[in-house]
Amino acid sequence: MNELSAINVISKRNFKPRWVAPTLREIKRRKDVEDDRNGGPKIFHRSTFLEWLNYNAEIFAFSNRLGEKFNEATLQTALTHKSYVERETARLSDMGVDSYLQIQNNEELAVAGGEMISKFTNGYLRAVFTHVPEELIMAMHEFLTSTSNLETVGKHIGLGDLMLCSDFPCESETYVKSLKAVVAALAESSGEERARIFVQDLVVTQLYGLDINELWNPADPVGNLTDILKREGKAEPEFRLIKHSGQNSVLAVYYVGVYSDKNFIAEGAGESLEIAKEMAAREALKQLFHTEDSMKALPFGRQLKNIQSKIVQLENQPNLPLSKWISEKVTSAVH
Amino acid sequence: MSNKHLFLPSGFIRTPLQNGLGRYIPQLQRITLKFCKNHGGSRGVRDFIETDLMEFAKTNPGTVVYLKPRRHRYPCMVAEYLNGEREYLSCHEFSRAEIQKWLSYMCTRSGIPVMRFRKYQHTDYPSIQGVWNPFTHQAPEINVAQFPHEILSKPVNNGPTATDQLIEIFKKTQIKDPVKPEH
Repeated sequence: MNELSAINVISKRNFKPRWVAPTLREIKRRKDVEDDRNGGPKIFHRSTFLEWLNYNAEIFAFSNRLGEKFNEATLQTALTHKSYVERETARLSDMGVDSYLQIQNNEELAVAGGEMISKFTNGYLRAVFTHVPEELIMAMHEFLTSTSNLETVGKHIGLGDLMLCSDFPCESETYVKSLKAVVAALAESSGEERARIFVQDLVVTQLYGLDINELWNPADPVGNLTDILKREGKAEPEFRLIKHSGQNSVLAVYYVGVYSDKNFIAEGAGESLEIAKEMAAREALKQLFHTEDSMKALPFGRQLKNIQSKIVQLENQPNLPLSKWISEKVTSAVH
Repeated sequence: MSNKHLFLPSGFIRTPLQNGLGRYIPQLQRITLKFCKNHGGSRGVRDFIETDLMEFAKTNPGTVVYLKPRRHRYPCMVAEYLNGEREYLSCHEFSRAEIQKWLSYMCTRSGIPVMRFRKYQHTDYPSIQGVWNPFTHQAPEINVAQFPHEILSKPVNNGPTATDQLIEIFKKTQIKDPVKPEH
């Protein structure tokens, strides 16, 4: 056969006997009934398939995929769960073999890794969002280190098939623990610098495309703005109506502008005057914190090379809280 | 050309876990090559395994390669991706070069199913200066204007009317400085 036949995308007509389709339909119907009775189709762990031959090869591929070097024993420990060790010891004692298994579990590594992830995320956030108050930093940190985010990261680097745990399908907590333990294992094997870059590349990048102002907003923007301007020695904020349309209708819109000493700061729009005033104060705060809609794009990956030392420095140095925030104290952005 | 008659789902370009933003992680987790040791249809796969497979495994250390010799079965490859998707391809009567080509195709895909791309670019920040609203570029005078207004009630950028132009022409033909009759 010539080579061109395999490139043919049109599939062949397949004439099957006329009893095949009804038989398959009936089998599927019975399977669906059974699945519904059992609460969903049965899922099997990848290791039960016949193709699951080589755990070592999978581990090797895992470290190469991420471009990192792991200490074998540490990585094995990081992927072993307490529940697995318990299950194995129970199984052995059932069989009559009363041996204490020497496998370590990943509890300590998970705790250490969790602290590292938290520290590295904070370092990045404070180095990139230099003008932002600590409350917003904490909100972003909370999002990035949340169970759902870390679970997604863990699933997409292939931890699901490598973890040794007794529950299947694995719970979110298991994924999160494994990821944290893997970060700690990486720090132990290749150094904290590599672990920091790892967290920056995988965990922090989930901030991309997110509107950070949806994560946190000040509860009293007008009050906060007044306080900040007073602290900076500027005049009190003055709210003026700039534009309005459709006043007595359902689709009313009011644009309110914030002025300090007759200088325009920001404007906000809303369905009523109060809402518009609050939005204007929020916009003014956004401008002060450099988190407007038109703010600079966040740096990731290679773009962080120059500010790595700054990130390390700011890991343990929280930003100014909203109650003490003042422009002069905030360092200028590097990137 | 509507989407109603297509079985191919459509969507925008995306990548799992912002791949490439931080570092690039090859999305192919493992690939299984099934072939028959005797049958002629598996010849290409067998040749590939004997010659090009080691190089492939070396250049893609992040992918596990499994070989499954299965008698009296047609050859195929099954690719599994990090997001859990599987891709099956029958390699019956493929040549060695074709296997190479299809394997490299599997390597470079993410696990997201094949779909028709609606647009070849994507952005999360479609507007930098802000989306246009009817108040953009409007003179602030409209807020305190009493309508009907001399200037604002009139259409914008109208230009001189025919009547205005005729008046202009007439004015030009007028003698501006009347010449004093010489006496």
